[in-house]
Amino acid sequence: MFTDKVEVRDFDKTDPEYQDLLRRVLAIQADCEIGGPNLYVKDILPNAPTKLDQLIVARTAAEEMDHFRKMAKLAGDIGVDVTYTLSRPNQERYVEAFRGQITTWEDYAVFGFLIDRVGRFQLEEFLDCTYLPLARVVEDPDIIREEEGHVDFGTNLASEFAGKGGEYKERVQRAVDFWYVKGLDMFGNSKSYRSERYMHWGLKRRPNAVARQQYKDEIDALILKMDLTLPDPMKGRLYT
Amino acid sequence: MEAAANTDALDQQFKEFIQALKGAVNSALPHLKDDPKIVDKAIADCEEILGVVMEGNVKEWLS
Repeated sequence: MFTDKVEVRDFDKTDPEYQDLLRRVLAIQADCEIGGPNLYVKDILPNAPTKLDQLIVARTAAEEMDHFRKMAKLAGDIGVDVTYTLSRPNQERYVEAFRGQITTWEDYAVFGFLIDRVGRFQLEEFLDCTYLPLARVVEDPDIIREEEGHVDFGTNLASEFAGKGGEYKERVQRAVDFWYVKGLDMFGNSKSYRSERYMHWGLKRRPNAVARQQYKDEIDALILKMDLTLPDPMKGRLYT
Repeated sequence: MEAAANTDALDQQFKEFIQALKGAVNSALPHLKDDPKIVDKAIADCEEILGVVMEGNVKEWLS
């Protein structure tokens, strides 16, 4: 188990596997951060129910852009140009959850509730990691507090939809059914060799299966509290 | 380790986008009930800025 602490000036001296894994995870993280706004800005910003909601959508996008900026800077500093993630079509994103388009307010709500929550889990993976510039970014209280803000907004909105009953509840249930498996898939394959190597190099804290289970326990309790039905966790899954 | 080209320029450009967006939002929030024109202008500004970002024409921004 690698426990050294690495600054950017020491990056060249690290093991090639360490370098490859760090380059990869920063590119994926940057892609996911900018992937969110690319999903919802086009349709949701002009059509959110109220002007306050429109401003919240714009502020959320600004915060995700700031997370992208921080990851892009970390990647750029070790020679990885992630500008391609700014112009690629959604269908080419690294993570399947970011490959479509969000067109309804209930999908926007559930995206915050379930997918931004995965984002929070992923950022927490880097707390106290061996690459100090990355650890410093995620240990700055802003980034996780902002992500929690997006999660809370989505969770409260989804809960409001569910509480209204009738058609509103049916719509939010459909959104939960759609995003639930995508969220579970975002943790990757439980038997991933790469996941073990990330842990070996001190770049992540938990195996994929452990993080996924912790996430599932958290969201299942919330879905049931909203009096919604738990979707089949295996239906349509790409990774188990 | 040599940084990727345009790393600092991209960082600076994003800081400006983000500052402009947050500025527009913050200018509108206190006026939600008393001045719809300010709010509409801020939303239009946000749409314009985000439209540029989502287009992703990085070469144009950094030229």
